[in-house]
Amino acid sequence: MLGLFLKKRNALTSGQKEKMVHMNSLVEMRNITKKFPGVTALSGVNFDVQPGEVHVLLGENGAGKSTLMKMLSGAYEPTEGTMVANGKEFPRFTPRISQENGISIIYQELSVIDEISIQENIFVGKLLTKKVAGISLVDNATMKQRTQEVLDEIGLKRSPGTRAGQLSIPEKQMVEIAKAVAFDAKVIIMDEPTSSLTTEEINHLFEIVDRLKKQGKGIVFISHKLDEVMAIGDRVTVLKDGQYIGTYPISEMNEDKLVTMMVGREIKGTYLQDPNRDYGDDIIFEAKDITRKDNRCRNISFQLKRGEILGFSGLVGAGRTELMEAIFGAAPMKTGEMTLLGEKLNIKCPYDALKAGIALVTENRRVTGFSPFFSIKQNLIQAKYLKESKFGGMTGLINKKMEQEVAEEQRAAMQIKCATTNQTITELSGGNQQKVILGKWMASDPKLIIFDEPTKGIDVGTKSEIYKLMRALAERGIGVLVVSSEMPELLSTCDRIVVFSDGKKNGEFTSLEATEEALVRAATT
Amino acid sequence: MSKQTQTVKPKKTFSDYWSSYSTVAILVLMLIVFSALKPSAFLSTNNFVKIIEQSSITILLACGEFFGIILGGIDLSVSSTMALSGVVCAKLMLAGWPPVLAVLVGIILFGAVVGAINGSLINLTNLPPFIITLGTQAIFRGFTYILSDARSVSGISTGFMQFVGGKLGGVVPMPIVIALIVALILIFFTTKTRAGRNIYALGGNPSSAYYAGITTKRHQLLCFVISGVCASLAGMVNIARLGSAEPNAGTGYETYAIASVIIGGASFFGGQGVVWKVVIGGLIIGVINNGLNMVGLSSYYQQIAMGALIILAVTLDRFFGASKDK
Ligand SMILES: Nc1ncnc2c1ncn2[C@@H]1O[C@H](COP(=O)(O)OP(=O)(O)OP(=O)(O)O)[C@@H](O)[C@H]1O
Ligand SMILES: [Mg+2]
Repeated sequence: MLGLFLKKRNALTSGQKEKMVHMNSLVEMRNITKKFPGVTALSGVNFDVQPGEVHVLLGENGAGKSTLMKMLSGAYEPTEGTMVANGKEFPRFTPRISQENGISIIYQELSVIDEISIQENIFVGKLLTKKVAGISLVDNATMKQRTQEVLDEIGLKRSPGTRAGQLSIPEKQMVEIAKAVAFDAKVIIMDEPTSSLTTEEINHLFEIVDRLKKQGKGIVFISHKLDEVMAIGDRVTVLKDGQYIGTYPISEMNEDKLVTMMVGREIKGTYLQDPNRDYGDDIIFEAKDITRKDNRCRNISFQLKRGEILGFSGLVGAGRTELMEAIFGAAPMKTGEMTLLGEKLNIKCPYDALKAGIALVTENRRVTGFSPFFSIKQNLIQAKYLKESKFGGMTGLINKKMEQEVAEEQRAAMQIKCATTNQTITELSGGNQQKVILGKWMASDPKLIIFDEPTKGIDVGTKSEIYKLMRALAERGIGVLVVSSEMPELLSTCDRIVVFSDGKKNGEFTSLEATEEALVRAATT
Repeated sequence: MSKQTQTVKPKKTFSDYWSSYSTVAILVLMLIVFSALKPSAFLSTNNFVKIIEQSSITILLACGEFFGIILGGIDLSVSSTMALSGVVCAKLMLAGWPPVLAVLVGIILFGAVVGAINGSLINLTNLPPFIITLGTQAIFRGFTYILSDARSVSGISTGFMQFVGGKLGGVVPMPIVIALIVALILIFFTTKTRAGRNIYALGGNPSSAYYAGITTKRHQLLCFVISGVCASLAGMVNIARLGSAEPNAGTGYETYAIASVIIGGASFFGGQGVVWKVVIGGLIIGVINNGLNMVGLSSYYQQIAMGALIILAVTLDRFFGASKDK
């Protein structure tokens, strides 16, 4: 699907390419260095955005991409270097300067406020007012009209008054984009906008990006998915461990070259399963007729054999995450039976699941993934402590030595990039936070581990490490269930794939039978 | 292999020091201010002993309140719990119970039950602690009046009064000894036990705590039980000091307790805070109360000054504490 898009787009934009170089930069960052206590996040980085281009920022987890962008938005102050906007030099951007120069950022962790409407989200902090008898009043009518225009423009079919809490993640992202469009941003920064979108939604996003580009806006695009980078980018800047590697036209690049630049070695995309292997009948986990109380998944049955990895495909909202929540005890079931390693399970809450040896790596790391004020170490030990303690996880003392050992073990195993494990987890880059969550569950020694979008925001190198980890777990007799919106991910790691459609199981494929087309067809019929 | 993992020695900034010691700094500042204003009356051993004695009730209440606030909630019922358990304990002694038994049942056990009522109501209704404890504050106070016939309850054993209200070795007021023992136990609980760690996780982000496998309702219940027991102990200290149980005891003290916790640097949004600073917070409230008395301000102005100082202390804290990396 991306391929199609690529061809169409190149035909449209090939004429613009030469012009670009001669135009004036919208923003420029020269020789930027950023130090945090104990960490040099960036050193000597150059970056600029031209009108009408998509400038891709590429690098591994923790390379410094988000940090660089936070200096553009004014959230961070560079330790050294010069910032330029519209030809004017500044030692730093304040949020004010950034806003005045039309810079708008869509953060990796979306900042849409659930409790208020789309319209209020768009105008938050910048309410339009009108003067009535000399008094400023909030101008709801104009704001509503403007919101409607912007929503039409980007193709979000929701009314301005809809509460943001009712929106799906892709829709929330559209709201963020709408925010940028509503204020006529000249530079729109998208930090990993596609990490929680399906292929179709990504295509829609790309169409919007293309339209914005043609209006002369400069887009900064951060993603770990190289096919997207190749499809949407005009130029690419590569960072590696905070060092500036260089800026290149995408036309001179290919995926392999990019990987080599950002990782420093080659990574082979290999299929990890053996389609001809016979797994026998040693069933380690079985779910029978699971229906959630709220009916968001219905009559689901499946079996998982020893050594197998079972994947779950389908559109967002098809009920995969909902099923996993039910298995994990986080949502009540109406009917359903589960057996793990021959034992019948009776799970009422996540604590029961943890005790029974089930782990769930949730898809939404900021909301359900980690304890935000805790250190990396405290997060890594959390599940293990709970599992070992009695009486609802309340007994037992803190064991500093064990904490240290577990933290170092998982830090090495997951390749968590940090200065020390005593750092607060929120200081980590998005991808590294995800690795901490994986490490937390690994440390609890699970018998069945459920991965819901496990590689969201994870760089190519680590991704293949995580796939290998899953395979190694399966080989050790640990059950592995994977929910993913990235079809290549499922196709290259799973032995069998179950497809969901509208809360129900709508097909099951062995790795021999599974193709992208087959999965899409089962998901949409 | 990379610049990332090279550890540059972190330089401690003013805001780092401030966030560690701000509470102590405010206490010292208050001491200096009042010493300068009224050295004769304020700066005496007698007065300091008095401050400490007066503070012990605030400290006990604040230690309990801390567990409401750490959850991102609040416990408004501590002041009523303090009065109710005081009356219950006094009534038991009046009925001829030996003081030790009266304390075990009328204070410790009763406080736990009262806290469990708060916690269970919150768990069952899923309503914010603010609403539930606002309700139970009135309910507990009502029971206090009914039980005491709206009169002060005397008949408290003299042995109990001399021990709990007396001085250890003739010097250190027993109330502060009790308050500090409670604080030490809670410091241990919050920093060294897994249940304590879980409570921080729960306050910091309830849904991630739930998905990590923390039994959220049980921990929430525990927090309110702790709060109830602490408030009851404050009630015990109060009746020992006064020699009788007053049905209107502690009215409005929840404000002092909340202020101590916030001045002690705990976050109103939950998940952040430490017990020892809350103890200092309680002392600060004690110093302000006493100092304003010494300066001779009428009690109306005292209220105004108290409120202003609380706002000032918290503002200072946020101002210096939040200036990191901006
Ligand atoms: N507030 C902070 N305090 C300390 N270190 C920080 C802070 N913010 C970022 N860092 C560090 O700076 C480095 C770069 O982080 P950044 O978030 O920019 O990475 P990234 O390239 O966006 O990675 P990802 O792909 O995982 O999102 C990391 O090592 C991170 O730990
Ligand atoms: Mg990032």
